Parts: sequence; structure tokens; C-alpha cells
Amino acid sequence: MARANVKKSNWTIIVNLVLLVLVIIWSIPILGLFISSVRPQDNVLTTGWWTVFGEHGELTFDNYRQVLGGRGYTFVDSAGNTVRASGDNLSQAFLNSFTVTIPSVIIPILIASAAAFAFAWMIFPGRKFFFTTVVALLVVPLQIALIPILRDYQGLGLTGSYLGIWLAHTGFGLPLGIYLLYNYISTIPRDVFESAFLDGARPMIVFSRLVLPLSVPAIASLAIFQFLWVWNDLLVALVFLGGTADVAVLTQRLATMVGSRGQDWHLLTAGAFVAMVVPLAVFFGLQRYFVEGLMAGSVKG
Amino acid sequence: MRKLILVALIILLILPAAFAAGQKGTAEASAKTVTVFGAFVDEEARRFEEAIKPFEERTGIDVIYEGSKDFETLISVRVEGGNPPDIAGLPQPGLMVNFASQGKLVPMWSSLIATIDKNYAPVWKSLGSYDGTPYGVFHRVNAKSFVWYPKKAWATAGYQVPTTWNELTALMDKMVANGHTPWAVGIESGGATGWVGTDWIEDIMLRTAGPDVYDKWVSNEIPFNAPEVKQAFDVLGKIWLNPKYVYGGTNTILTTSFGDAQRPMFDNPPKAWMHRQGNFITGFFPENIQANLTDEVGVFPLPAINDEFGIPVLGGGDQFVVFNDRPEVRQFMEFLATWESGESWAKAGGALFPYLNQDLDAYPNEIERSLAEALVNAKVFRFDASDLMPAQVGAGSFWTGIVDWVTGKPLDTMLNEVQRSWPK
Repeated sequence: MARANVKKSNWTIIVNLVLLVLVIIWSIPILGLFISSVRPQDNVLTTGWWTVFGEHGELTFDNYRQVLGGRGYTFVDSAGNTVRASGDNLSQAFLNSFTVTIPSVIIPILIASAAAFAFAWMIFPGRKFFFTTVVALLVVPLQIALIPILRDYQGLGLTGSYLGIWLAHTGFGLPLGIYLLYNYISTIPRDVFESAFLDGARPMIVFSRLVLPLSVPAIASLAIFQFLWVWNDLLVALVFLGGTADVAVLTQRLATMVGSRGQDWHLLTAGAFVAMVVPLAVFFGLQRYFVEGLMAGSVKG
Repeated sequence: MRKLILVALIILLILPAAFAAGQKGTAEASAKTVTVFGAFVDEEARRFEEAIKPFEERTGIDVIYEGSKDFETLISVRVEGGNPPDIAGLPQPGLMVNFASQGKLVPMWSSLIATIDKNYAPVWKSLGSYDGTPYGVFHRVNAKSFVWYPKKAWATAGYQVPTTWNELTALMDKMVANGHTPWAVGIESGGATGWVGTDWIEDIMLRTAGPDVYDKWVSNEIPFNAPEVKQAFDVLGKIWLNPKYVYGGTNTILTTSFGDAQRPMFDNPPKAWMHRQGNFITGFFPENIQANLTDEVGVFPLPAINDEFGIPVLGGGDQFVVFNDRPEVRQFMEFLATWESGESWAKAGGALFPYLNQDLDAYPNEIERSLAEALVNAKVFRFDASDLMPAQVGAGSFWTGIVDWVTGKPLDTMLNEVQRSWPK
């Protein structure tokens, strides 16, 4: 018995050590990115970030100022004067990103939870077939759908509209959403439903009064997944929404910030941290559900 | 609690919807608009918008420019998906040929062709043509055959600008004798690593074999492993593969980003003394150098190797093509074909224009003026060959071939491989 305990604690130490090493390895690039984001441009381009602890100790918030407040441009106006003006700041891009992301998270969650409930607990013909089809869609890359959908959107007048991109993200997010929520909802004990049905509850009541509240951990983890995916998406937004200033999302603004030939890549460091703020806030806000939700459905009881 | 969530959901759903609807309304309210989609972004996009303001003020037409770094992918998706912009600025003539052969483009009309004939050298018209029909109008262009050097350090060391290839070679040896390293070279460019080398080869090809052979090489009428191509690599190899001539040797060539490669020139004392790159490189120079460009930096065209061919200029540029034929789109295209559309951008700096009737005084400094002059007066101008070749070669095996060759792969093996990768 005592030997088993010693063995176990040895293992714990080894596992913790390995984890510690992994955490350090994973954290170093982030630390380097952060340090680079507060170094002056010339230092970033000529020396490595670690020199900040030695000879190149200067720190500046200039990169953040340019990212948040808009870059300075010089151009010549029609009267022939050289004008220095600051470019657009990120506030419009933040607003656009929120406008795209929030409905693109809520709509698929509402549909996926209802669908998962139906697949798990309602009996209708073709249930297995439809569920298999949805799961099979998980492996279809969304890129192959871009051109056909764009053609349909063109006919429906949805290109460049927010409604269009919400529907696109909803469609692309649904297979994973339904699958994830199905695994969770199908583990809810049958007894819960049976008593509700015996009391004469209709499926819609069971769904809204029982299933939704019971599935909050799984819904939260799906919300995190979907939020991160939509927030970080560049391709779908570029194709369906376009990149003009009034609709450009944050990822598009960051991508263009480095300049046509990447000459301003030092700004990406600061831009990355600015863009990270919102996903981090969402993650930490929903974190207590996340671990629970990840486990959800992994063991079908 | 549940009701609260439900209410929150509904509010979140409705708010952006209302906001989106409001935005759409304002976009539809403005009268005539022309959408332009291009590959240049950020500061350059801003300057383009500034340059076309005179047109917008005069005609009341709203030109909306959209730039993306993923232009090549997106333009194909949007055209295929039936959602093309009114006008697109294509960086590669190959893209124009693709769209023109699929019948997606509106051919240029007679009044615009007359303007093109008047304002451009013939080479630009033929670069914008497919099957004898003009489809494209060039606006901002770039030229690549230039050698940059730190002016003050050169003056101190007593170096003279070489005018022939022999003088250049003599200068390199003199630098080595003085303990200096002649060239700063870097070809790293992410997935596009190697393109700097293709530019060097193209420049040398134009100087050793001449424009006619160059054109045949581009269309693969002479194979990629022809003696003329081999000769160009031999000329380049004498510089690049000689560790005395290049700062850091071949390792540094492979691992230094094309944009950062010029930096050693501006160390004190310089760690390298020359850098061959296009006119865009000034944007990468250190800020204190950019602020006093004319005092700090000198530039000369890469000298002639064979007198017969003189000093050709290698370059590229975005050509604007029309997808949707509307009167306001035509008006804007005719504006783009005139010097007026480039003047304010030229004044702001960082751009060259091909117009024959341009006012060279508009360029903000001596350097850009001399580049524009070299471009307009060049007897031979050729488009970047790697942009003209099929993508499998021009944006593929030619780039990787350069990397392999610098790494030490035998020249013949590499050239044979590139030739084999040419699509049948």
C-alpha cells in the first residue's frame, strides 16, 4: 500500500514537471511576441526580443498607439499641400466584428440545441439517416462551398450584407454544434423526460424548460468554440462581406495593417494582442463551463 | 434567470440587425458608385483614394476602393461566384489572360484605346492585351533594375558609380581589397521565398541574352535549361556564391527577409555596400534614412553587360480591367489612363507612373525622379518574367529552384527540374 502511494506521488511529480516544461515552451513565444510589441520599430527589425534584457532596453507604446489610433499617412491633397493625417482607428472594425460575431454565435446555438434535442429524444422517420448526414458534414471543408453559396447569395441579394454572413457562419458551424450538443443532451437521464411527458408537457416545453437549462455547460463550450472561430475568421468574411472600410472586420484590418509588402510587420505584434483581448475575455468569462462542457459527451453514460 | 437570458438573446439579435439595416440604407442612397478591388492596402490604398479625388469631385461619382492581401484568391472566387467588382487591379498579366479567355472582361473601347496610344509606350498596351484586344490599363508601376548604396559612406571610401559591368566587377574587387563586403542580399519571403533571385536572373537575362530571347524564355520557346539561362545563372553565381562578395554568405541570403536585407548598408561602418532591389525598397529603409533619402542614399541602374542590349528596365505593375460595363465605369477607366490620376500619388512619393506626358518635377526627390526618368526613357522594358510564366513555374519551381541552387544543388539538375515542371 505504501509502495503504491510512493509510486503514485512520483508519477504526479513527473507529470507536473512535464506539464511545467510544456507550459514554459508554449509561453516563451507569447512572451516574445508581447515584448516585441512594446519595442521600438528599429529594434524589432534589427535585434531579437531577448536583447530587451540587455543592451536594447528601450520600451515604447508606439506600436499600440498606431494600431489603436490609426497609422499616420502623408499624402498630397488636390491643392498640392502635403498633408499628414492619421488613418482609421480600430473602433469601426471592432464594431463590425461584434456585429458579425454575436448573431453568428447565437443563431447556430439556438438551431443546434433544438436539432440535437430532436435527434436525441424525439422519434421520427429518417432520424438516424439525417443525423449521420449532419455528422458526415463535419469532414467537408467549407472552402468548397464558397463559390456555390456566393452564386446563390448573388441571386438572393445577400452578398455584402450582415444577414448573409450570419447565415454562412451558421451553416458552417451547425454540424459541429449539433454533434457536440447531441452528445451532451443524449446523456440527460431518461427519467427526467418521462416524468415531464407523463405530466403532459409538449416537446417544445420540455426543450425550453428542461433541456436548455440542463445543457448550459455544453452550450457555453460551444459558444466559446463558435465565438473564437467566427472572431478569428478572415476568409468567410472576405468572401461574403467584402473588405470595404464600412464592413471590414478586425482580422481584415490587421491583415492590411502590415502594408502591401509586409513592410510594417512590427505592428502585427501589437495588433495580435489587441485582437486577443476580446476572445480572452470571452474565454475567461465562460471558462468555468468550458472544462465541464469539454468533458460533456466524451463519456456517454 | 432563464427569462433574462432569453431577453438578452433577443436584444443581441435585434440590435446588430437594426444596425446592419441602417448601414445598408446609407450605401444605397448614394447615386453612382464604381467599386474597385485591388491588391494594395493600407497606406498605398489611402494614397490611391487621394489620387482619384479630383475625378470624384469633378464627376460626382463615388469610387469605392477595396484592397486585400489575399487578392489573387478572392478575385477568382468572386468572379466565379458572380460577384465581381466593377474594376479590378490585377498585379499579374496571367490573371488578365485567364479572365479574358473566359470572356469575363469588357474589352477596351476605341476612345480609351486612343488615350492609351497617346499616353503610354507600346509595351504597356501589349502587356494589357489578350489575343490582340486591349483589356487593361496600367496605373502605378514599379521598376526593379536598381542598385542602392549608402551615399555618405561611398563618398568617404571614394567609390564611384559603375557604368559598365566590368566597372562593377572592378568595384566589387576593390571593396573586397578594402575589407568591405559589396552586396547585401536576402531572399526570404515566407511562401514566396526565392522571388528576389528570379528578379536578379531576369535582369541578367535581359542584359546577356536580350529582350527577344527573354520573351522566348517566358513562353518556353527556349527551354528553361537552355545555355542562355545557364549563362545568366553563372553570372549571378559569381556574385552570390562567392562568400567574399555577399554579406554573411549563402546562409544569410537564404534566411534574411527581402525587406530587411538592406539594413547592413546603414550600419556604421556599413556591413554591406550595395543592394539591388525595386523602387519599393525605400519604404523598408530605416526611418532616419527615409527622412533624408536624397542625402543618405544613392541609386544607379544595374549596368549593361552586353552593349548591344543597353540598360533594359525590369518591372511590373497593376493593370486595371473592367468586369461591369457602365458609363461611370468607363469614365473612371479613361481617368486612370491619364497622368492626372497619378499626379498626387507621385507627389506623395513611393510610386512610379508610366505616362509619357508625366511631369517629372512632381516626384518629391531626386531619387524617384531619376527612377521615373529611367522607366519612361528605357528603350527596353520587360515585365517581371516570373509573373508572366505559368504559376507552377513563375510562382513555384522557379522560386524553389533558386533556393535549391543557393543551397548547393548542381545548376544543371535544378534547371532540368524547372523545365520538367513546365505545364504541357
